[in-house]
Amino acid sequence: MKKKKWDSASILSALIVCLLYAAVFVAEQMMPPTSMLFTVLKKGATYALVAVSMNLLNGFTGIFSLGQAGFMLIGAYTYAIFTVPVAQRAIVYQYYNGGVVQFTLPVFVAMILAGLVAALFALLIGLPVLRLKSDYLAIATLGFAEIIRTVFQWDKLGPVTNGSNMLRLFPTFNDFNIRNAQGEVTLYLSTLVPLLIAGVCIALIVLLINSTFGRALRAIKDDEIAAEAMGIRLSSHKQMAFCVSSFFAGIGGAMLAMYQTTVQAKSFTTAMTYEILLIVVIGGIGSVTGSCLSSFLFVACSEWWLRFLDQKQVVGGFEVPLLRNGFRLVVFSIIIMIVVLFFRQGIMGTRELPDLLRRRPTRANGGEAK
Amino acid sequence: MSEPVLKIDHLTMQFGGVVAVDDFSMVVNPGELVALIGPNGAGKTTAFNAVTGVYTPTAGTITLLGHNITGLRPDQITGMGIARTFQNIRLFSSMTVFENVLTAHHLRRTSNLLSATFRLNGAEERQMRKDTEELLRRVDLWDLKDEMATSLPYGKQRLLEIVRALATKPKLLLLDEPAAGMNPQETDELGDFIRRIRDEFDLSIFIIEHHMNLVMRISDRIYVIEFGRQIAEGIPEEIQNNQAVIDAYLGGGDEL
Amino acid sequence: MFNTVFPYLLSGISVGGQYALIAIGYTMVYGILRLINFAHGDVFMVAGIIMVYMSASGVPLLVCIPLVLLLTSVIGFAIERIAYKPLRTAPRMSVMISAIGVSYTLQNLVLYITGGLNQIYPTIPFISGSVTIGPATTKVVTVVTPVLTILLVFALVMLINHTKVGMAMRAVSKDFETSQLMGININRVISTTFVIGSFLAGVGSMLYFTNYTTVIQTSGAMPGLKAFVAAVFGGIGSIPGAVVGAFIIGIAENIIKGLDIILFKAGVIAKPMGLATFSDAFTFALLIVILAVKPTGLFGEKTIDKV
Repeated sequence: MKKKKWDSASILSALIVCLLYAAVFVAEQMMPPTSMLFTVLKKGATYALVAVSMNLLNGFTGIFSLGQAGFMLIGAYTYAIFTVPVAQRAIVYQYYNGGVVQFTLPVFVAMILAGLVAALFALLIGLPVLRLKSDYLAIATLGFAEIIRTVFQWDKLGPVTNGSNMLRLFPTFNDFNIRNAQGEVTLYLSTLVPLLIAGVCIALIVLLINSTFGRALRAIKDDEIAAEAMGIRLSSHKQMAFCVSSFFAGIGGAMLAMYQTTVQAKSFTTAMTYEILLIVVIGGIGSVTGSCLSSFLFVACSEWWLRFLDQKQVVGGFEVPLLRNGFRLVVFSIIIMIVVLFFRQGIMGTRELPDLLRRRPTRANGGEAK
Repeated sequence: MSEPVLKIDHLTMQFGGVVAVDDFSMVVNPGELVALIGPNGAGKTTAFNAVTGVYTPTAGTITLLGHNITGLRPDQITGMGIARTFQNIRLFSSMTVFENVLTAHHLRRTSNLLSATFRLNGAEERQMRKDTEELLRRVDLWDLKDEMATSLPYGKQRLLEIVRALATKPKLLLLDEPAAGMNPQETDELGDFIRRIRDEFDLSIFIIEHHMNLVMRISDRIYVIEFGRQIAEGIPEEIQNNQAVIDAYLGGGDEL
Repeated sequence: MFNTVFPYLLSGISVGGQYALIAIGYTMVYGILRLINFAHGDVFMVAGIIMVYMSASGVPLLVCIPLVLLLTSVIGFAIERIAYKPLRTAPRMSVMISAIGVSYTLQNLVLYITGGLNQIYPTIPFISGSVTIGPATTKVVTVVTPVLTILLVFALVMLINHTKVGMAMRAVSKDFETSQLMGININRVISTTFVIGSFLAGVGSMLYFTNYTTVIQTSGAMPGLKAFVAAVFGGIGSIPGAVVGAFIIGIAENIIKGLDIILFKAGVIAKPMGLATFSDAFTFALLIVILAVKPTGLFGEKTIDKV
């Protein structure tokens, strides 16, 4: 089977990705660490992972879930709770006598745990919810995310979650930089490592999608009744996709915590899920490459390129009308509606990077399921 | 006498106040090609759906090779050896011809999620692909393997659906109006094809069909139902001369 | 005991009525298009914002009220024409995504206009005053809401059962394709549905924001979701179901808000548990339970998929 998959286009794609990583590594050593480029890459990596995990459900399994923010929240909290240094716990949990958790896990262990806890929640919630039809499922998962958000802010859970106060002082992306004894950074890795983490996770999702299980999921998306008639058990396969997606959303949540340096339940809103969904739509529902591209584009626009829309701009003594706080989001919304209504394929449709490099793409018709 | 492949005993399907299938019994013996005919709305597809687990029977039992399969899920029933096609073709639209057939091998897997994701199931995956290739070559669809399934001409789509069902390695194949929408020549070819796979794949076949010529030509035995009840059973010649059947069709204004 | 519970019950009934007015919009649209109109809660919020800006610009309130209702209906109509109608034959997921896009757009638009600040809702003279009923003192709107809701629902049911357009609506919600073949102007029916739904959401917004006094771009999200849950609870597609569901949810949610005090006064708990936190979570827990146990809701009809 390897013979088939590793054609020249695939090898070229892998090469491109490697080159991009090398470029980031070099750029990070050369450019000032405060450059907007790195902010965009870090947040973009986080969003790319979450978007791909959502795409696994919406694009590859046909499950329209809107619970992504909830699973990110679980991941972010799990990570933060278990990585705040013991010495700092008295400060962070100042209203709860330093909290109940009095040990610290290594960063990568905590990240995997973040994914596992999110997957566990997915397992529990999946039992009642996954039997529902598309739109009911959407609203039920949305409701689940709201419940999680409330529960994590409950005062009684304060010794664990710090109630409605924020969690902070845990290791962040900057702690990936390697420092010498004087505390000076000798090797900048704070952008490369998050990109690598996201890259590995996305690669795992791609491997899953291209396995026999991935085919089964696509079969479910195309036609549940036919899939079932082919001997594919719907409940277990949907449950599996839901848990895997939540696992990676949990890791994405942990990455978001590291990016933001603080975690607070109230920021994981429905709007966050909507934003990720819209990223998936812009990239192309059913394209991993599309989700990644559109994540970086979205983050770059919102944090960097379109920032100017939020401020007064004077061009040659003339003040450009309309530009003030919030205009960026209006422009965003309009772009999104245009994509949704007129370019339903998004950037990539269902194509992937290797398809672009092939002269005659085999699966590029990008037809939407009925 | 050997055990029947499929045995339906006193099957009743009720939806609210409507009785779609009423106390229907039948058998399909090993290697037999049995047809179920009847006017539109007689309950043929409902009976199919009860056999394949899409609906849970209101009453009655369904037995596959001595195992009671009543009320099992469709995927379990497929796993036990019944495969089917659909009246309105249901191919996987985002997949190629090859992938459609490959996907049907999923249920015979021994790998799990992790071993499949980390590619520890190489031998099994290779075997699946080899079986798919062999199957497609045998039915002359190999040249079309990279076409999108739904871009095939109509007749080929019907054929592919049958092949996909065969890939689940069934003992009994259920065909729901396989000749619907085909021209006479395609229908003839289909008839030959159905007989051929019955022999080559060591199958029993249970078919619903409206094309009477086809049914009379290929069936070993025929059951006729009207309003969910059986009105006749016998070999093609008997059915052709059965007064109740003739009345049912003429009364129903259907083709014969 | 009764004196403690009564005020919560009263505000529960009131909020329930407001949810009911929103829920009808969800349930009617779902009945006809099988679409969860995610933007409906935001239409409700926009109605509030229009009221704020219109009254601030000096338009007398008596003119504001009908004008706001008219504009809200127009917005509902426009959303359907722009964002849903082009996707009539598209997969359901696309339409849902479009609805989410509209929701996102409306919120961002309002954020831009208001600068993200809380807007003070104008005082509507008659319903803003206080009234004392038994042990509770409350705003007049609390008492007006359930009465007005029932009246409007009654009028709506009459419209659906006894007018030509109502008959068309019932036909379309029973069978979309056949109705089309029978010569019913589907687009007109759908537009009417959106207009009615938005109109009622407009009325609901006046009652709701008189109670809560401020409007912000996210004000519509929570009431919208809860109203949707109410619609599901009652059996989506059923108008009486949505109303009953909304009242139950409104009451339950307010009782939970006061549960700490109620239990404390009854001597069940010694100190507050912070249970009020769960008033929102309860609604969604209820939703998940209903969907798992009886997806068709209280008054919904069971449908069988054809294979």
